[in-house]
Amino acid sequence: MGRGARFLLSVLAALPGGAAAQPLGDAEYGEYLSAECTTCHQRDGSFDGIPSITRWPTKEFTAAMLAYRAKQRPHPVMQMVAARLSDEEIAALAAYYATIEN
Amino acid sequence: MIALNRRLFIGTLTATLTAPMVIARTRPRVVIIGGGAGGATIARYLAKDSKGALDVVLVEPTRTYYTCFFSNLFLGGFREYKSLGHGYGTLAAEYGVNVVHDFATGVDRDAKAVTLASGVVMPYDRLVLSPGIDFVEGSVPGWSLAAQNAMPHAYKGGSQTQLLKAQLAAMPEGGTFAMVAPPNPYRCPPGPYERISMVAHYLKSHNPTAKILILDPKEGYSKQALFEEGWDRHYPGMITRIGPDMGGNMLKVRPDAMEVVVDGEVEKVDVCNVIPAQRAGNIASLADVTEGGWAPVQADSMLSKTDTNIYVLGDATNQADMPKSAFSANSQAKVAANHIRGALTGSKVFPARYSNTCWSLIAPDDGVKVGASYAPTPEKIASVQGFISQRGEDDALRKATYEESLGWYAGITADMFGA
Repeated sequence: MGRGARFLLSVLAALPGGAAAQPLGDAEYGEYLSAECTTCHQRDGSFDGIPSITRWPTKEFTAAMLAYRAKQRPHPVMQMVAARLSDEEIAALAAYYATIEN
Repeated sequence: MIALNRRLFIGTLTATLTAPMVIARTRPRVVIIGGGAGGATIARYLAKDSKGALDVVLVEPTRTYYTCFFSNLFLGGFREYKSLGHGYGTLAAEYGVNVVHDFATGVDRDAKAVTLASGVVMPYDRLVLSPGIDFVEGSVPGWSLAAQNAMPHAYKGGSQTQLLKAQLAAMPEGGTFAMVAPPNPYRCPPGPYERISMVAHYLKSHNPTAKILILDPKEGYSKQALFEEGWDRHYPGMITRIGPDMGGNMLKVRPDAMEVVVDGEVEKVDVCNVIPAQRAGNIASLADVTEGGWAPVQADSMLSKTDTNIYVLGDATNQADMPKSAFSANSQAKVAANHIRGALTGSKVFPARYSNTCWSLIAPDDGVKVGASYAPTPEKIASVQGFISQRGEDDALRKATYEESLGWYAGITADMFGA
């Protein structure tokens, strides 16, 4: 499966009525990638000046990251982080953050 | 029934007693020296992600770790001292890290063992050195550690930070605060200039006729345009910087007389913050993994270039394009943790990626930031893409940047010590 197709499926999986419980991104890879997020975004969802992204729905997570990557959503740190994430990596992160447990 | 129960009970008891001992003998051990942004982070990630498969030992002399990052905010009055302190109890209790409060005094690379000040010899399968910085002796003529009470560096967190704050508060009216800034490379490139901002903020409200003198051996420095714009705006006429063109690189200090001699000219000062030239924390030299004061590392793993059983993190490394910062050390720790787990437990090793952002506070609600992403190349850790705050940004954006830095502090300290 190509990157585009896998990404599309992961987005579809997040749509209401779809197989939302099983996002197709690689959650193990997502967990590794998430280490870049947790320097600022606390894994337990605490919010101290930087928003929580813990248990954010896959669809919203993906849309936000795509908007940062396209520089449509303003924030230099997030634009920088998103710039080097492939569709597959965004899907992996979205899958991880949607299902994160404490 | 009774006999059966007793046998069951004894069986369970035996398993309980013997299991940890067996595990202790068979689990690979990772010894980490230094419990700061690199060491605490890697201890937590190794313990968390190996789920008990690794024996993680963290050697750190202090019971409470006072971060050097954000200590400038304490000087400026924006932060309580105790808010900079963090304990290791969560790493021990919730993550199973063996926290040893001791000082590493030697590394036997052939025997793969660390010697501690208490005399204990601790064998390792992999060693992580994250010792931060030490100072280059003689780099500021006239200054030595023996003089650090008269002229504090306050460039390692803790008592030195408190001392500098006390000296600032005790400055006579209209007195002079001097800083001897360090040459490159040093930890936290914007740090000295954020400190100047915080000192200026304090003096503006407590001692408004006081002056600040920066003696700087460098031509330029991090976020210079942003700091200079902010100083003109918030502290006009208070701050003078003497660069190398004016003799900022030809100075000596006289701690007993509280004098600074710049290119032969004697200046009497009231507080003198000497930030000397820096090198890797001394244990890296004792382990013989340094070159020119810093430890060269492989860009894709943070492995030492001289020993494949030793990783080096954070300020102590020669990290090419990455600045020396807590954020960088935290980022590097995750790459190394992933690599160590792969080597010792066979878990998946993902490609290295690094990032950094440094926030600085210039005045109340006037925050700026600089950052970049980094990736390994065959030669080095190379910058991929970066950003920096712009001059003339509006107040709302600067306030948001400051608030974001508070979020970062909460985030990184939770990532290091466990929430």
